[in-house]
Amino acid sequence: MKRRSVEAEARIENLKRFGACLAGGFVLALMVGTQEGTQQDFGYAFRQSVAMPRILIFLGIGVLLYLAITFGPRAKPYLTRPGLRPLGAGVLTVIISLTLLKWTDSPQINTGKFRPLADAAAPTQALDSLARLWFGSAFSQTAWLLLIIVTVLAAAGMIRRSAPLSYAAAILAGVLGIWAEYASAAVSKFLHYPSHATGGAVAMLGFFTIAVASLVSARSQAAEADTDGFIDRVLGWRPGLALVVLGFAVGLVGVFNAAWFSPGDRNATLSTTASMFGATNLNGFAQTYLDWLGFVLFFVTLVVAGVASYLRHRLLAYAAIVLGLVSTLLTLVVVHDFSALGGKQGFDGAQGAWDNLGTGAWMTCAALSLFAGAGYLVLKDLRIEAKGVRAGSDIVGSGTAGARGQVAAATMLVVIIAALFYPPTATEFWQTVLVSEIGIYVLLAIGLNVVVGWAGLLDLGFIAFYAIGSYTTAYFTGRLPVQPPDWLLLSPLACIPFAIAACLIAGVALGFPTLRLRGDYLAIVTLGFGEIIRVIANNANGFTNGPRGAFNIPAPQIHLGPIHLTWGDSALGFWYLLLVLIAIIVLLFNRLENSRLGRAWAAIREDEVAAQATGINTRNVKLLAFAIGASTSGVAGVFFASQVGSFTPENFVLNNSILVVAYVVFGGMGSLPGAMAGAAVLTWLPEFLKDQVPAEDRQMWIGALILVMMIFRPAGLIPARRRKAELSGLDRPSSAEATAVPAGEGM
Amino acid sequence: MHPVQDFLNFLILGLTRGSLYALIALGYTLVYGVLQLINFAHSEVFMSGAFGSYLVVNSVVEDGSRPPWYGVLAVIILGLTSGGLVGAGVAWCLERVAYRPLRRRGAPKLAFLISAIGASFFLSQLFGKLFNRLNNNNFPSFFDQNKHVVQIGGVYITLMQAIIMVSALIMMVFLDSLVSRTKLGRSIRAVAEDAPTAALMGVNIDKTISRTFVIGGFLGGAAGYLYGSALFFSNTMGFIPGVKAFAAAVLGGIGNIRGAMLGGLLLGVVEATVPTAPWYKPGWIGIEWTDVVAFLVLVLVLVVRPTGILGERLGRAA
Repeated sequence: MKRRSVEAEARIENLKRFGACLAGGFVLALMVGTQEGTQQDFGYAFRQSVAMPRILIFLGIGVLLYLAITFGPRAKPYLTRPGLRPLGAGVLTVIISLTLLKWTDSPQINTGKFRPLADAAAPTQALDSLARLWFGSAFSQTAWLLLIIVTVLAAAGMIRRSAPLSYAAAILAGVLGIWAEYASAAVSKFLHYPSHATGGAVAMLGFFTIAVASLVSARSQAAEADTDGFIDRVLGWRPGLALVVLGFAVGLVGVFNAAWFSPGDRNATLSTTASMFGATNLNGFAQTYLDWLGFVLFFVTLVVAGVASYLRHRLLAYAAIVLGLVSTLLTLVVVHDFSALGGKQGFDGAQGAWDNLGTGAWMTCAALSLFAGAGYLVLKDLRIEAKGVRAGSDIVGSGTAGARGQVAAATMLVVIIAALFYPPTATEFWQTVLVSEIGIYVLLAIGLNVVVGWAGLLDLGFIAFYAIGSYTTAYFTGRLPVQPPDWLLLSPLACIPFAIAACLIAGVALGFPTLRLRGDYLAIVTLGFGEIIRVIANNANGFTNGPRGAFNIPAPQIHLGPIHLTWGDSALGFWYLLLVLIAIIVLLFNRLENSRLGRAWAAIREDEVAAQATGINTRNVKLLAFAIGASTSGVAGVFFASQVGSFTPENFVLNNSILVVAYVVFGGMGSLPGAMAGAAVLTWLPEFLKDQVPAEDRQMWIGALILVMMIFRPAGLIPARRRKAELSGLDRPSSAEATAVPAGEGM
Repeated sequence: MHPVQDFLNFLILGLTRGSLYALIALGYTLVYGVLQLINFAHSEVFMSGAFGSYLVVNSVVEDGSRPPWYGVLAVIILGLTSGGLVGAGVAWCLERVAYRPLRRRGAPKLAFLISAIGASFFLSQLFGKLFNRLNNNNFPSFFDQNKHVVQIGGVYITLMQAIIMVSALIMMVFLDSLVSRTKLGRSIRAVAEDAPTAALMGVNIDKTISRTFVIGGFLGGAAGYLYGSALFFSNTMGFIPGVKAFAAAVLGGIGNIRGAMLGGLLLGVVEATVPTAPWYKPGWIGIEWTDVVAFLVLVLVLVVRPTGILGERLGRAA
């Protein structure tokens, strides 16, 4: 072999990097290029994409990328200043909101994004002048200009470590955030269109992030940033406070600014709603709530939760929980009452209970629940502390671990509250997506996570169990050519045990002969199983109704004593049903990972022979994983069948099985929140991309995203704790040492 | 109706299909041998071979022209090499982009699978975007594909079948001797047997893996040309043959080169003959059950021999 000098090696390495960057630019040019050629002119799109002046721009991007990679490290000392990373996140958020997100749902503005809205709003004389200024009447694009100014100001403050600059940036960013939200609300008021668009709120969030980053920078004495450590310290210090602040921001908008009742093109805020119903015979309590009690409840809960979080006071924390939950319930009751009455009175075509609601009530509910959550966090913190003291362990050591737990708990609370109160404010389209894409695949991913993530068995035919669940439902509701005996006709929800049983049997039947196969052999056998089930469903006309599938499956109903629940056309009802199912399953699975069984799975996953040698009955344990995963999938199948009402074998193609595996691994194999997040993100993305790229190209972008994600974060979005521990040592987060003695406060 | 004749004709059809499966399966098996990973994006290598060779072949011959036999031969060889080279190029890029960075980071095994799936989505849609998304593109026809070259009684082999089988056979023999006789083949086998030890012995692992991808990609791309000119081609054509070829590789014992060849042929023959074989009463089992039969055979073989027919190591194959 030839030997090369070190410099020559480096030069070749450099050249390779340059070539790779140019290739990246080239591929990007292809990705955003023209659509397809024709049968006659095959290379048309290709030639258009690499046409001369155009390709130079993309090669230029490649060169820039190369320069960034090569000279990036030199800027590193400046890039680790405190606050720079959050600043980047904030700026990115604002940019996303200004380019990608919708600022209004009104059909008058063609895509509803910032640019067309600004073009329409800036010259509109009747619009509030402050809002008009935001959209750019004075300068061509005020919002962009202000973003650049605040970014430069904040960055300068951080890099030069100048506190006055940082304070100025923080104040400016705070004002801009409020301004963005204000302008967005003014536009939606002006357009008389109840808006569900998130653009303004996200921009506000981004600006507030910039403000917080600048404040941190101004207050910080450290030369190097430690964002994770900082978040840990804040949440470790007063865990509930973050939730209180979040709830305060959400609730302020909810109580004062957002629409509560919007029949026709009215956007009545809380106080206008009160005056709307003033002359009607709305029951006394609801009227009182609308008149003043709503505000009072919000502020009282806010104060109680805030004080409880700051003082870490046990009684006040209980009070915050009770107040938060009770006032959430009261709000819901009031919302029900006035919307029902509004429907009866026919205000501007109001339709009845739970209809024509704006976002305000839901935001208020979210805020109140966040206050209750803050109370919960305080109690949890006190409990951890009490435990630590009793056990006499050193607080320093458990401090960071406790903070980690608090971060996780706070995130979980926010996610739960968002899952409860965001969907009603979403458009009908997004509600449908939430149920029939996101929710169902989250459930499937939870099931597959047991098989793939915990037990390490690669299952490429998972969708087969989903199909079995769906067909079981169709059978027991009497919608297949073969009918069950009359006394066995069931309502869809009552099919769940039968579907679970059918999937258990199928899982064991598949698993029993094949589970002695190792990894990739098992993968192909399960893949074959999935295909066999689909082909049977497609061809056994007499039993499964063949390619026409099953239809007219009834929606679920519950009649239990006085409780009568029926689900109909609204996706929202199905969402809450699904949420209940997911919650039950997550509660059941939550403790599984670290149970005896979960540890057995981990052992098999890591080394099957060794696991067997330690006395684990590998066959039974694997069968259990298979059966548990399969029955989860069966539950998802029941839900799917009764939600869509009709399905065909085309719903159960192999591609879907592969996608579920991709969701689980993308999210973080073996981590329950990871699998859920992976499924949610990857099912949300195609719908989101609908507004961003040509519809045909969506899969290409998703493929590219999965690829890039796996290259840079192979452990997934939210890596499993066990796997992380294997990589970096147990109970020692990577930043623990760095935070022990902050650089500026050492001796 | 001659049941035996029909059976033999279907057998020939099966062998043709099987040799295509075998060519693709070799790509899976070679990569599995050196990396112990299923290269899920191999089906797109196959697809890109068809597109690449179409661009070349279409610029050389016109649809409906009838060149002399040596012209036909030259065009076919050109198609095979161009398809193979495009496939090899795509496979090389794939290893660079979707596998090597993950290998450097010590990613869990399934992460490779997912990055390959991402790459597969990406490639298939990118080709659709750049060329077209029709699902029945055809190569220009420049010879009579259905001419019977061999005919014994009612049993015949058409020209296209002969071309596929002969070229597949030549490539497989070539590959077999490449792996068992050359230095490159020895390094591939060494890496397959024990990569760290091979590295100690002076084998450049990165280079060997890269070349393994290139070889597998060449075969897959050439198979893409053959498949495309016999049937059709499209940006989603790779998926089903890819799955079948993967099954074939497993059937023969994944990681085992002769196993992949055997598995491919066997799967093709089973698929073509079992549902239509004369020993079944007509209508007893229809063509739509082909996949079920194929996978049932696979499951049965694996239940009896859990590591495939010929066992699994690439190192032991030759």
